[in-house]
Amino acid sequence: MNAPFKATKKAPVGASHVEALRAVLPHAVIEESRQTADQITVTVKLGSLPEAVAYLYYQRGGWLSVVVGNDERALNGSFGLYYVLSMEEEDRCYFVVHAAVPEGKEEFPSVTPKVPACVWGEREVRDMYGLRPIGLPDERRLVLPDDWPEGLHPLRKDAMDYRFRPAPTGDDETYAFVNDAKEETTVVPLGPLHITSDEPGHFRLFVDGEDIIDADYRLFYVHRGMEKVAETRMGYDEVTFLADRVCGICGYAHSVAYANSVENALGIEVPLRGQAVRAVLLETERLHSHLLNLGLACHFVGFDTGFMQFFRIREKAMMLAEMLTGSRKTYAINLIGGVRRDILGEQKTRTLAALVELRDDVTRLVDMLMSTANVEGRVKGVGRLDPQVARDYSPVGPLVRGSGHRRDTRVLHAFGGYEMVDLGINVGEGCDVLARTVVRAQEVYDSIAIIEKLLTDTPRGPILTEDFTYKPHKFALGFTEAPRGEDIHWSMTGDNQKLWRWRCRASTYANWPVLRYMLRGNTVSDAPLIVASIDPCYSCTDRVTVVDVKKATQKTVPYKEMERYCRDRTASPLK
Amino acid sequence: MPTFGYVLVALAQVLLVAAAAPLASGFSRTLRAKMHTRHGPGLLQDYRDLFKLLRRQDVRPPASGFVFRLMPIVMPATLLVIAAGLPILTRATPIAAVGDLITTVYLFALARFFFALSGLDSGSSFAGIGASRELTLGVLVEPAMLLALFVAALLAGSTNLGDIGAAIVEGRTGAIAATLLAMIAFAFTCYVELGKLPYDMAEAEQELQEGPLTEYAGPSLALVKWSLALKQLVVVAWFVGTFLPFGAAVEPTVTGLVIGFLAVAIKVAVIYGLVGIVENAVARARFRLTSRHTWLGVGVASLAFVFYLAGL
Repeated sequence: MNAPFKATKKAPVGASHVEALRAVLPHAVIEESRQTADQITVTVKLGSLPEAVAYLYYQRGGWLSVVVGNDERALNGSFGLYYVLSMEEEDRCYFVVHAAVPEGKEEFPSVTPKVPACVWGEREVRDMYGLRPIGLPDERRLVLPDDWPEGLHPLRKDAMDYRFRPAPTGDDETYAFVNDAKEETTVVPLGPLHITSDEPGHFRLFVDGEDIIDADYRLFYVHRGMEKVAETRMGYDEVTFLADRVCGICGYAHSVAYANSVENALGIEVPLRGQAVRAVLLETERLHSHLLNLGLACHFVGFDTGFMQFFRIREKAMMLAEMLTGSRKTYAINLIGGVRRDILGEQKTRTLAALVELRDDVTRLVDMLMSTANVEGRVKGVGRLDPQVARDYSPVGPLVRGSGHRRDTRVLHAFGGYEMVDLGINVGEGCDVLARTVVRAQEVYDSIAIIEKLLTDTPRGPILTEDFTYKPHKFALGFTEAPRGEDIHWSMTGDNQKLWRWRCRASTYANWPVLRYMLRGNTVSDAPLIVASIDPCYSCTDRVTVVDVKKATQKTVPYKEMERYCRDRTASPLK
Repeated sequence: MPTFGYVLVALAQVLLVAAAAPLASGFSRTLRAKMHTRHGPGLLQDYRDLFKLLRRQDVRPPASGFVFRLMPIVMPATLLVIAAGLPILTRATPIAAVGDLITTVYLFALARFFFALSGLDSGSSFAGIGASRELTLGVLVEPAMLLALFVAALLAGSTNLGDIGAAIVEGRTGAIAATLLAMIAFAFTCYVELGKLPYDMAEAEQELQEGPLTEYAGPSLALVKWSLALKQLVVVAWFVGTFLPFGAAVEPTVTGLVIGFLAVAIKVAVIYGLVGIVENAVARARFRLTSRHTWLGVGVASLAFVFYLAGL
């Protein structure tokens, strides 16, 4: 593996982007700072934010990873906006464009008209912090429910305690679904609970006969308030366990991304063996996740025999996870600074044996799937993700790889254990459901190879370091390639042994916005198949919830009073 | 007029088919589970399901009308009338007026018509799409089905299903190739009629939330589910009675009927077995492409007709 981020070159990684930005927008750059060797945060003037992001995105090969809002009024009297760009062409690094929104004038120029990928991030920042993006084409709420009071922004530090929820302001659904169809269409609602997805998400298809003319959807039905909980209640190490629970499938990827973000912020060096263990478990997770999705692909085309057979062999991956971590899910392994459990010699032998078996099983089954009558007919050319749409919206994972883009965090921004392996990127050219399925099947083999390599040449030494102290208000990114694509976390440490801010962006969050384009021009009967082909994870997306005072009044209730109310459940302080 | 003996046979057939339909669908489910490497439900699961549903509340969408309420009665009733006329236990049709191929085809069309209409009447968009699919499928399949049966009727010199079966058993049809091709075409259309994968478009669970079934609940759902099982069994019996009536009773005597019953039971079980293998080895066809498959059926049926003209 060539490691382009090791600071071996004369110019530090990412410096060329800063220079280029200074050259194009001479007066925009205010300040420049580095979190790690390959993470740069550049503060720009608020007015130049759209130009700066758009330049880096389209001219310098940047892809938007996440938009982070942060309430920094107690630190510097402003709200922080962080546009995280993953620079994937020359001089690869993570480039964060930061702009400060002053308190009292809570608005900023929207980047979305120039870079469509920012749309969800800006909608979320508006919901959560009340920062108004001027010029944002889509002004609907993203995260907050329809019955949430106006003007309550849950992630502001002076918003209410995380345990409470304001009274609903109405009973009606007011969310307006967008339909760009020119002619008359019939509405087909898929959800909020749909028979085949078993998770809450409301898709509204606008159809003519069986053809989908346009589609819109709303999600975030089940908010869990994780970010708020992490900031107000949990210590650093506890949040690794909370991050596990972001997802029921790829929770470990979140846990690693979170731990990495704190480690990067504080400059903690995780022992090599700990990094290898993390990579092995990440790949184990990818094994069972991809096998699940391959099975589901069969289910959605009505080939239930394949579905059941994939589940049969997926069970082996689950047993592997159980042997290595003590639970069928790869949960509860991370701490800041390393891992809690080593992989022992006997486990290594059994894992290697199980992998041989698994590889044979997968080969046989994938062959069977591809040769099954009419499976290809169902998935080929269906749910096309145009490469240009993909470029505009920055989706991640097998979805974007199926459309010919070479995006894989494990390779482009090799981190931790992945620096020890030689890995390629599986790319499909079909842009359709078939291409994504094939990419996933190939990645199963990659995962097996990575685990074998890391187990054979495991570095020796400790698995955990505790040789560090927490420093306040340090921030950095942590990232992993989850089975569904890049997971990215942005953490800022606080001064009370708690996080000041934790932004957790799951891979599916980046993939939802392109779904609309993938659904257009297909038939109703293919809709569930297309939705499934992004391997959606509703719970990952629905991670934020909230809590606030009734009826738009930003009344602050003393903590003691909240505590009393929590105990007594009488005389609510909110009324 | 049918004799008293044949009236009893017709009655016996109705009761038999009505009682055995959930068993047959349960058999399909067991087979499916085996192919999936699952334990699966027992053979009698569909009876348990039906009894459970019968005890539940019947909920109807407010937008639905009387057709929606009528369908769970009309559909099984029509199918039972067909069952009374088919040559299942005996070689001759118990009730000649019903056992005519044209009557049978139109009775099936009536059942389909109500099934589709109930979907449109439910007010649900999924049921509506399922209904339009059901009707389209009817249009696609019926020509091949009728043509295949007409060739057989021409060969046997009668449109009575019992007479066609008798002619085939006694080898009176003359043109063997034409008979075989007609049988193949008819078998194919029967398979589509079964509503099994890859042609279960109207009730596709993943695509349409089970189409016209989606708004039914409780006893109505039980009746509709039972009718679908009934339809599958009647279609299989129709095929067996017309093209493979070997072993059916020539005269309605007790021994003859018992032997006839055993013969039918074995043949139906074998056909369900074969259908189970096909059903679980394929994915659902894309609805748009179904017409290509059905054209194949029309082609084979036309070929049978050409062979009949040529006397082969």
